[in-house]
Amino acid sequence: MTTARLACCALVLLATLSACSSSGETLVIYSGRSQNLVEPLLNQFAEESGTSIEVNYGDTADMALLLAEEGDATDADVFLAQSPGAVAYVDGLGLLSAVPDDVLDLVPPEFVADDGNWIGVTGRQRVLVYNADLVDEADLPASVDDLVTEPYRGRVAVAPPNGSFQDFVSAMRVERGDGATADWLAGLVANDVATYANNNSIVDAVSRGEIEMGLVNHYYNARFLDENPNLKSVNHRFQDGDIGALVLPSTASVVAGSDQPDAAAAFIEFLLSDDAQQYFAEETFEYPLVAGVPAPSALPPLADQDAPEVDYGELGGDLTGTLDLIRDAGLSS
Amino acid sequence: MPVTDVEPGLQPGTSHVGDPRPDDPRGTAVRVAGRGWAVLAGLGFAAPLIFLVVRVMGDPSGSLAAVGDGRLVGPFARTVLLASLVSVTAAIVGTTTAWLVTRTDLPGVRWWRLALPLPLVIPSFMGTFALLSAFAPGGLFAGVLSSLGVTSVPQLRGLWGSWLVLTLFTYPYVHLVVASRLNQLPPSLEEAARLFGRRPGEVFRSVVLPQLVPAILAGGLLVFLYTVSDYGVVELLRYDVLTRVIYASRLADPLLSLGLSLSLGLLALTVAVLERFSAGRDRIGGDRSVRGLQVPLGGWRGPAVALLAVVVGIALVVPTMVLVGWVVRGWLADSSSLLLDDPGALVAPIWATLRVSVLAAVAATVVVLPISVVATRRRDRVAAAASTVVVAGFALPGLAIALALVFWLRGTPLYRSEVLLVAAYVVHFGAQALRAAEVAVASVPVRIEEASNVLGVSAWRRWRRVDLPLMRPGLLAGAGLVLLSVMKELPATLLLAPNGFETLATRVWNAATDAFWTDAAIASLVLLALSGGLTWILVIRRADAL
Repeated sequence: MTTARLACCALVLLATLSACSSSGETLVIYSGRSQNLVEPLLNQFAEESGTSIEVNYGDTADMALLLAEEGDATDADVFLAQSPGAVAYVDGLGLLSAVPDDVLDLVPPEFVADDGNWIGVTGRQRVLVYNADLVDEADLPASVDDLVTEPYRGRVAVAPPNGSFQDFVSAMRVERGDGATADWLAGLVANDVATYANNNSIVDAVSRGEIEMGLVNHYYNARFLDENPNLKSVNHRFQDGDIGALVLPSTASVVAGSDQPDAAAAFIEFLLSDDAQQYFAEETFEYPLVAGVPAPSALPPLADQDAPEVDYGELGGDLTGTLDLIRDAGLSS
Repeated sequence: MPVTDVEPGLQPGTSHVGDPRPDDPRGTAVRVAGRGWAVLAGLGFAAPLIFLVVRVMGDPSGSLAAVGDGRLVGPFARTVLLASLVSVTAAIVGTTTAWLVTRTDLPGVRWWRLALPLPLVIPSFMGTFALLSAFAPGGLFAGVLSSLGVTSVPQLRGLWGSWLVLTLFTYPYVHLVVASRLNQLPPSLEEAARLFGRRPGEVFRSVVLPQLVPAILAGGLLVFLYTVSDYGVVELLRYDVLTRVIYASRLADPLLSLGLSLSLGLLALTVAVLERFSAGRDRIGGDRSVRGLQVPLGGWRGPAVALLAVVVGIALVVPTMVLVGWVVRGWLADSSSLLLDDPGALVAPIWATLRVSVLAAVAATVVVLPISVVATRRRDRVAAAASTVVVAGFALPGLAIALALVFWLRGTPLYRSEVLLVAAYVVHFGAQALRAAEVAVASVPVRIEEASNVLGVSAWRRWRRVDLPLMRPGLLAGAGLVLLSVMKELPATLLLAPNGFETLATRVWNAATDAFWTDAAIASLVLLALSGGLTWILVIRRADAL
């Protein structure tokens, strides 16, 4: 009996060893965007182009750390990221190479890195999600600055550890300077803001009525409603031009050490095709960045919104400074 | 509580574990071989710590100023406080449940044995989110609770919330180790105590409990280390401990993040050393020929079942019900789901999960067994040091383990192979197999070795025929712990697995991170079912047969 079991183990081990593959011909994608969001699209690319792909999914920040640790030894050809901040970190280490110019031209210039080392694929807007049973539409704020005023005392949630909230604070620093941003954060704390772990927990808490409203990315509530159409949570966009209506791009980059930069570029071009952009609008409720592709239903196209202008390249520049501001305001727990 | 509380005269048929005669050449050979293995394996287990030291020392640019400026004292103190509280409550809960399922006439005992270890396999962020959905204001059970007259439930949050949830998700560490020990304690002492007219409660306190101390400490240490390294629960429940600083600063200040990971490793080393010195070692041998003494619960049956129902109810049944609710809801709403469209997509993750978790459980047990034999039987200092290093691996965040292995092995043929992944699991979870193995090794009476020496039986034959079978429940418990831990492991799997490799846990994470609750729930339920099946086959059925 023991011998049989040992033999079994040995077999499994052999199978395992022989399964180790090298990735000469395949396009290896490090995806900081989750499997459920992008897998169908990636499979479509593999099928249509005949390119074989292998995808490693993970948290964007963890993937950035992995790329940094692997350095030149990486297998990765493409890096997909949720936030410009993490890409800036990898780019700062010299680990990305430029996306070809003809691909960069596909999206508006504000969604392209100055050095061409990343390109925006989709847009995710900051919004205020609120519970329609608890909040009167007339009482909704026009600007994030309203959230630090008396009428919103104890009614608003934020997610300080979340990358998008941090990118938003960084954008506010770029637009208004550190002093004004620190004041706003201190105003939130003085106004008894509630803190949660991430976008999911805020939308969940708002939909249950535990808290009336919260700052999140727009597509989480769309996801929650897709899972449960009976929820009372609704997205509210801040007025045009308000920093609260910031649009954050998800990005694609070619990894500097890639042994097949052409296939990598072709893949990124595919993500910016009309088909793929439409997929994002319909399936993940994100804004397409390519002109002419319709926005997710019920949302005005980005081109018609006077979204706040921010140099996204600067968002990742001083993440430490942003974290310090958030912590010094007393938002860390 | 030293075991010597048991009066010497009450130790029938057992003898003290100690060194074999120093002039025994076979003993020396075993010791040298064991020592060599301990050094080798110990180096492997120390790899993450060495990586952290290299990193932190290699960049004296002053980013570690935060360590000196007092800002981290709070998070560090909260880590120690939370881990201590959880260890104590998990030890109490785990010991009670273990005693109930091994030593009493509890109704439905097989089912309890199956259900009690399972909360260990629920990924902590998933379980916590499910509990929040259930018990938070406006949650699934808010209606049920208010109909029972409970109108305000204390918010599941902060220290209290983390303490409660972590206790419920970690008591199985104590439960499994203690239950395996209880299964093979010789009943003679208890019988004697009963003959002298002691009541069952007194017998437990004065005879059984002292013999369980090493097992309880071993399990409690695992709980402590798990809590120290946990991020999912404290993040969702907003308790500001060190892992939250580690994760929050990992991109902004990777060096600080690694430095703090190192401090968790050092904390673990300290606690492991303290435990080693305070524990004393198990002196009571095992006996598999006789069943342990069964205590009739009598009037305590009701309360005992109620206690288990509350524990299993909150830790396992409620999360499971929430998950089932999510699947039904998503199915009815025809929500976007990869798995409802194509259930076959789960076949590869199921097989992968099964393969790496079984391999890691076997590998971890095989790797640590020699260390624990030499450390425990031969009282070897080198092996003891190695075993302390093994323990530290469990307290490091999975992220640090993963980055360390990337650092050491990038560019080699092993990199991004399943072998490397299994090695990462062994380094991360070896402590679980080790602590269980040490309890098991200590339970083999030395008189067996002496007897077989006198009879001229070869050491190998004795090992195979006597020692191993005696240790089996403990080794299985340790392997079971590793198995369940690997099945839900995330950070190392996401970063180190071969390209394109997926497990059930990575499916759960991928779906949950962007609120695909239907898929997250399906993958979680399959994970639970799979681990239930494995627990049944590998741990319970075997333990029963003994």
